[in-house]
Amino acid sequence: MTAEADTGMVRSTDSSGPLPATVAKRRWKKLRSTAIVLATQVAILVAFLGFWDYMTSNDRAAAFMFGSPTAIAGFLVQMARDGSLWRDLYVTGSETLLGFFAGNLVGTVIGLSLWYSRFVSRVVEPFVIALGSIPIIALAPIIIIWFGTGLISKVAMSTLSVVIVALVTSYKGALGVDPDQINLMRTLGASKFQIFRKLVVPASLTDIFAGLKLTVGFALIGAIVGEFMSSSEGLGHAIFKAGSLYIIPKVFAALVATIALALVLTFIVGKIERLLMPWRRL
Amino acid sequence: MTGARVHESVDSDMVIGSASTPPLVVEHVAKSYEVNGRISPVIGDLSLTLREGEIVSIVGPSGCGKTTLLNTLCGLLTPDSGRIRWHGREVSGQPQNVGYMLQKDLLLPWRTALGNTMLGLEIRGVAPSEAQDRSHAMLDQLGLHGFADHYPSTLSGGMRQRVALARTLVHEPEVLLLDEPFAALDFQSKLLIESDTAALVRKSRRSMLLITHDIEEAVSLADRVIVLSKRPTRVKAVYDIALGAERTDMIGLRQSPEFSQYVRRIWADLDVVLQ
Repeated sequence: MTAEADTGMVRSTDSSGPLPATVAKRRWKKLRSTAIVLATQVAILVAFLGFWDYMTSNDRAAAFMFGSPTAIAGFLVQMARDGSLWRDLYVTGSETLLGFFAGNLVGTVIGLSLWYSRFVSRVVEPFVIALGSIPIIALAPIIIIWFGTGLISKVAMSTLSVVIVALVTSYKGALGVDPDQINLMRTLGASKFQIFRKLVVPASLTDIFAGLKLTVGFALIGAIVGEFMSSSEGLGHAIFKAGSLYIIPKVFAALVATIALALVLTFIVGKIERLLMPWRRL
Repeated sequence: MTGARVHESVDSDMVIGSASTPPLVVEHVAKSYEVNGRISPVIGDLSLTLREGEIVSIVGPSGCGKTTLLNTLCGLLTPDSGRIRWHGREVSGQPQNVGYMLQKDLLLPWRTALGNTMLGLEIRGVAPSEAQDRSHAMLDQLGLHGFADHYPSTLSGGMRQRVALARTLVHEPEVLLLDEPFAALDFQSKLLIESDTAALVRKSRRSMLLITHDIEEAVSLADRVIVLSKRPTRVKAVYDIALGAERTDMIGLRQSPEFSQYVRRIWADLDVVLQ
């Protein structure tokens, strides 16, 4: 059949690829531009830290007010040695992760299932908007009263920070499915559940993951705010305590640990995204 | 090419010979939309018949409601009046054993070529191993051997449309409804996929309704071309295309004088006015 000719033709122009030498050259070019970006970023960071260290090294008042990179590093080492850094990271990390999972699970399940019924979604919409506009921090005192000062209250804060965002992003994803694609499924004889499972859920993954990346930060904020209110451990607690004692470098040290935690969690979510959506890598 | 006149008799025999109930009969179908409180009729009064083993093309001026017609035929829209009978029976909802193909390939990006081909079989609950075998065979038949594990994003437009065709053909529909399926393809891919489609459909004696705005495509593929009028749409003219039944040489076909005559007459019917 002529089909072979067609695909053969396509193959010879499209996917036989350029010569290996050009591939290597192109890869080198790409690597070089990445290296330049990275070098610039490092340079900015070093310049900033250098300036900071220089300005505070001969000025005790400034060193007290702003801390100094050297002092911050010193505190980080000390906290790592006495184990408080790891314990705080562990506590805040688990609060964040639990809240992140609970909030995203509940939010995504509700958001996706709203696709099922236009009636329910229309009824629910104003309530969702109202709940979404509540600053979570305003709920903190009540949460502490309801759930105590332990782990649960922080997880609850974290969950609440995540759940509405997860709900809205996943619902938007489900609504964004191409109506032609839904028609196609219908003409293939798919039931509503089959359309949901085989089309709506996978099609919403892109939006769901955008939500996941966004909510890593929100979950962390929720946990930290919870710790601010009342706690005996965690990074938020460390920041709060050091702040009350005017040990500014220690505040920054805990902040650095918080940023590191956020970066690691975001990185993991990105990895999982690429793992779950292999077709996007191509 | 030169065999066109010889086959003429075969062509008309086929039409007369189909004594069984035609797969699709449309009788006086009308459909209108409500836009801002005003009713605007799209399909005025449309009747047509698709006989068994026949390929019918429908051409019409832009915006004449071809897609509305197709959506009405496949049960996604309900006509205001008139009857649509599949194999002699009126059905509510989706007709059985009908395959659809649109201009957009609508492949699911998270499924490989094989996964996309299997979609319909999967929905119908065909056993996975059987669905896989049939889909592999279908892809091979359409010249996609070795591309089963490719994601759509790595395939060319022509190949993607071939996968869409495989998805349509794999559950062996008796009737095919195609809505400008090749319109987005470049000329070469288009001719090749057209001739493959025609060959497959004719070999298996299926019926096919092809909605298109490409007059040459309509003439080169079909046994009959139905020309639609502007809105509200009705049938303006019908041409029996006597170019022979075995039409796989899409280039050669286009060079015959009969071909250009059909094209010219249909073009005149469409009454295209430059604005």
